[in-house]
Amino acid sequence: MVGLSLGEKQFIHGGIAEDLRTDGRKRLHYRPISIETGVIPQANGSARVRLGATDVIVSIKAELGKPSSLQPDKGKVAIFVDCSSTAAPMFEGRGGEELSSELSVALQRCLLGGKSGAGAGIDPSSLVIVEGKVCWDLYIDGLVVSSDGNLLDALGAAIKVALSNTGIPKVTVILGPSPNDQPDVDLSDEEFLQFDTTGVPVIVTLTKVGRHYIADATLEEESQMSSAMSVSLNRHGHICGLTKRGGAGLDPSVVLDMISVAQHVGEQLMSMLDSEIAAAEAAAAQEQ
Amino acid sequence: MEYVDSLTGFRLDGRRPNDMRQIRGEIGVVAKADGSALFEMGNTKVIAAVYGPREVQNKGQQINNQALVRCEYSMANFSTGDRTRRPKGDRRSTEISLVIRQTMEACILVHLMPRSQIDIFVQVLQADGGTRSACINAATLALADAGIPMRDLVTSCSAGYLSSTPLLDLNYVEDSAGGPDVTVGILAKTDKVTLLQMDSKLPIDIFENVMQLAIEGCKAIAQYIREVLLENTKLLESRKGL
Repeated sequence: MVGLSLGEKQFIHGGIAEDLRTDGRKRLHYRPISIETGVIPQANGSARVRLGATDVIVSIKAELGKPSSLQPDKGKVAIFVDCSSTAAPMFEGRGGEELSSELSVALQRCLLGGKSGAGAGIDPSSLVIVEGKVCWDLYIDGLVVSSDGNLLDALGAAIKVALSNTGIPKVTVILGPSPNDQPDVDLSDEEFLQFDTTGVPVIVTLTKVGRHYIADATLEEESQMSSAMSVSLNRHGHICGLTKRGGAGLDPSVVLDMISVAQHVGEQLMSMLDSEIAAAEAAAAQEQ
Repeated sequence: MEYVDSLTGFRLDGRRPNDMRQIRGEIGVVAKADGSALFEMGNTKVIAAVYGPREVQNKGQQINNQALVRCEYSMANFSTGDRTRRPKGDRRSTEISLVIRQTMEACILVHLMPRSQIDIFVQVLQADGGTRSACINAATLALADAGIPMRDLVTSCSAGYLSSTPLLDLNYVEDSAGGPDVTVGILAKTDKVTLLQMDSKLPIDIFENVMQLAIEGCKAIAQYIREVLLENTKLLESRKGL
C-alpha cells in the first residue's frame, strides 16, 4: 500500500491541477516506454515492456487443439495475468490473485471482443487449421515483475508487441481417408507465419484525480484516483473495449469527453509503439 | 541415452563434463524493490527481489532478538517447455522456498536487525534445470544490492553423475535423466557448506568427487558474483561523483 502524508497528497492534487505532475510530466504524457522482444526463447513470442518503473513480461504460446463444437471455425485465445510477488510484498501467496484476475478480465474484454469472437483484435478464425478438427490455441501469459501504476496499459502494449514478435509454425495437414478421422498435422521447424497485428488495439487508461484526468498514472497518483477509465482503441480510432473502475460516479458528458481524449492519446501511443516495434525488429535482424 | 559422448567426451549441449553454462548476473532489475537481481545460468533465468528490513507485518511472527527472514519461490506459467497453469504454494515451491530461506538466513546477520522482517521473493522466468541454485545466487545478489549485512556470499551450484562421469551444472535434459543430482551451497570466503541436497544414490567415493565438482562450481560463481558487485559499486561511486 502507498503511504502518503497529507502534504504529499495535496502536492499530487495541486500538481495535476496545474498540469505539472510530480515527475515533471504534463497530464496526458506517458512515461518513457522501453521495449524488448524475444525475452523468453521457449515461447512462440514474447516481449518485455517497461513504462517507468512498471515492468511486465508477456509470453505467447501456441498449442494445437480442437475447436469447440459450438464454434468449429474459430481457434481459442486465452489471456492470463499473474502478479509476481517480486512486484510488491502484498502479492505474496494468494494476495495478488484479485488484481491478477481483474487485469485478466479487463484484457480479455479489451482484446478478445464479444463471446462470438466478433470484433476481436486477434481474429480467432485465422487460428483454424482444419475446420472442426484442428486449430491453434493461443495462450497469452502476462507477468507483472514490477508495479508502478498503469499495469493495464503496459500489459496491453506488451501483448501487442509480443504478438508482432510471434511466429506460428507452418503446418501441413494430411487428411485421413474418412472425414471422421483426426487429421495428421506436421509442424515445420523452419517456416513460421507472422500474425497480422494491425487490428490489435492499444489500451489507454485515464485516471481521474480531483477535477482533472491524467494518462499513465503512477502508483502514488493511482492511490488518489476517484475513478479510472480504460479504453481500448484500434488503428482507426474505434473503441474495442471499455472498463470503468473506481467508486466515484462520472457525469455522462465527462465519460464522452474522456473517450475522445483517450482516442487522441491512443493515436500517439499507437504510433510510438509501432516505431518501437520496428526498431526492435531491426535490432533483432541485425543480431542475426 | 548417451549423456556423454564416449568418443569426444562432450555432453549433449556441447559442454565438457566440468564446464558450467554461461552465467550472467544483473543488479537492480525491479525498480520498486529495496534490492533486486536477475541471474541466468544458461537458459535458466530467475529474478529475485528483496524488501526490507522493515516492520514485521504479522506481529505474531516477530522475533525479539533477530530479524525474520521470509522467502517465496514462484514459477511463471511460461517458464517450462509445456505451458501449465500452476497454483501458488504447491509442495515443490514450498519446499524450495524453505530451502532458500534457510540458506539465506544462515548468512544474513539477523541479530543486527531485531524485530524486523526481510522478504525475499524469487520468480522463475525460465526453467532449464538448476533453478534452486540460480535462485540462491540471485537472492545473494539481491540481498547485497539491498545492503543487508551478510556474513559472506552464499553461492550454489549443482552437479550430477551420468554415464559414469561427474557432470557440473546439469541442464533440464540431464536433470530429468533420473541420475543423482547434488546441489551444494557454500559460504564462499569461509569455505563452509550451508546447503547440501541429493536425490537418487551414489557410492560414497564417487559422491566425494561429485560434491567437490559442485563446490568448484560454487567458487567460480562466487568469483563472478564478486565481479558483478564490484562493477555495480564502481557504477554507484561514479554516479555519486567520487
